[in-house]
Amino acid sequence: MARVVGRYLDDIDDHLSLDVADRREIIRELETHIEDRVFEMKQAGLSEEEATKACLDLFGSARLVARQIYEAHSQGTWWQALLASMPHLLFGLIFALNWWQGIGWVAIALTVVIGAAIYGWGHGRPMWLFPWLGYSLIPVIVAGVLMIYLPRGWSWLAIVVYVPLALWLVCAVALQTIRRDWLLSALALLPVPAMIAWFVTMGNGGPVLGASLDQVRLSARWIGLSFMTLAFTAVAFVRLRQRWLRVAVLFASGLTTLLMVTYAGGKLDFLSFLGLILIVVGLLLVPALIDKRIRSRRPRAAAGSD
Amino acid sequence: MAERRELIKGNIDSLLLSLIGREPMYGYQILKDLEQKSEGYFRFKEGTLYPALHRLEKVGLIVSKWEGLPSGRLRRYSSITEKGARLLAMKRSQWADFATAMNRIIQPAPA
Repeated sequence: MARVVGRYLDDIDDHLSLDVADRREIIRELETHIEDRVFEMKQAGLSEEEATKACLDLFGSARLVARQIYEAHSQGTWWQALLASMPHLLFGLIFALNWWQGIGWVAIALTVVIGAAIYGWGHGRPMWLFPWLGYSLIPVIVAGVLMIYLPRGWSWLAIVVYVPLALWLVCAVALQTIRRDWLLSALALLPVPAMIAWFVTMGNGGPVLGASLDQVRLSARWIGLSFMTLAFTAVAFVRLRQRWLRVAVLFASGLTTLLMVTYAGGKLDFLSFLGLILIVVGLLLVPALIDKRIRSRRPRAAAGSD
Repeated sequence: MAERRELIKGNIDSLLLSLIGREPMYGYQILKDLEQKSEGYFRFKEGTLYPALHRLEKVGLIVSKWEGLPSGRLRRYSSITEKGARLLAMKRSQWADFATAMNRIIQPAPA
């Protein structure tokens, strides 16, 4: 019967989408409850099989129990919501106030972002961390792209040292985040579609780094506004409890920022728009699919005998 | 039955805080105590109890820690916090006012 209970608890564990330590604690607590209930039912004359079945019936659907416990844990405070919105607000302000041209402001913003990400990562990875985490990986990727412009003979440095190291860092952070909850990865990746869309628009169909500074200057307020939209999305995400609402908010935010880029940039044709929508959907689906794969390989607790 | 379920749902926090406010308790103990003290009127499903306990813990009304039973088994005991005790006192007072007013209206008038 231990296997039946193990399978039931595994099922709850699979749908909890919380921090590993929290999940372990919850599963252990439920396990002790089942132990007590089965023991009591056996004392009342039921067989082990009957007692286990009756006990699990009393618990109800594993998915429902997991969902309700997740909802009890998932909602962040207003303070956390504000912290989660800060990196978006920071970059929004940099564009809205035209500070993006000052290398000093950008350097300060990136230092703050990386500092906050390292602090959050080392302090229990709270929900506010993930938007910061997304931004902190951008310099890693941008530095890799800039290595194309290294003097001849130095490109090997990028290929041999930087690219594998950067890929390892990005993949490790992404996997750790997905293991916790794939929705948090999607939250971290939230600015990616907007950034790609702005690059595509500014690049005027040409290479990304050929973007016209004048065009950026003209659209700076709209770029700022699109980051502000992401800030509101982060607040809503942290305050909402239900997962489906969080998915809806992330998708709506991606769509809204793309519409803003189309309206303000005016250079996104239908195919580019469609491609960017696919990126938004992909950024939601890919972490979910990786999560599913990780969970299917997770060692099961249901190793006991019937 | 559905009405009773709705009534319980609306008062679940008060019920749990009242019990935990008397002494630290673990999940199964709460369920049994609730059933016993209400003479079977309150029968919680486990799937209702744990989300409610975790919600109360998340908002700082109770705290939980693992403690050993005399048998050596570990159980997660929840105890009320100061914030929880203040809320419970407020809920008790609200309930007393409500019950008094309700009784004045709902009871049949003396013949």
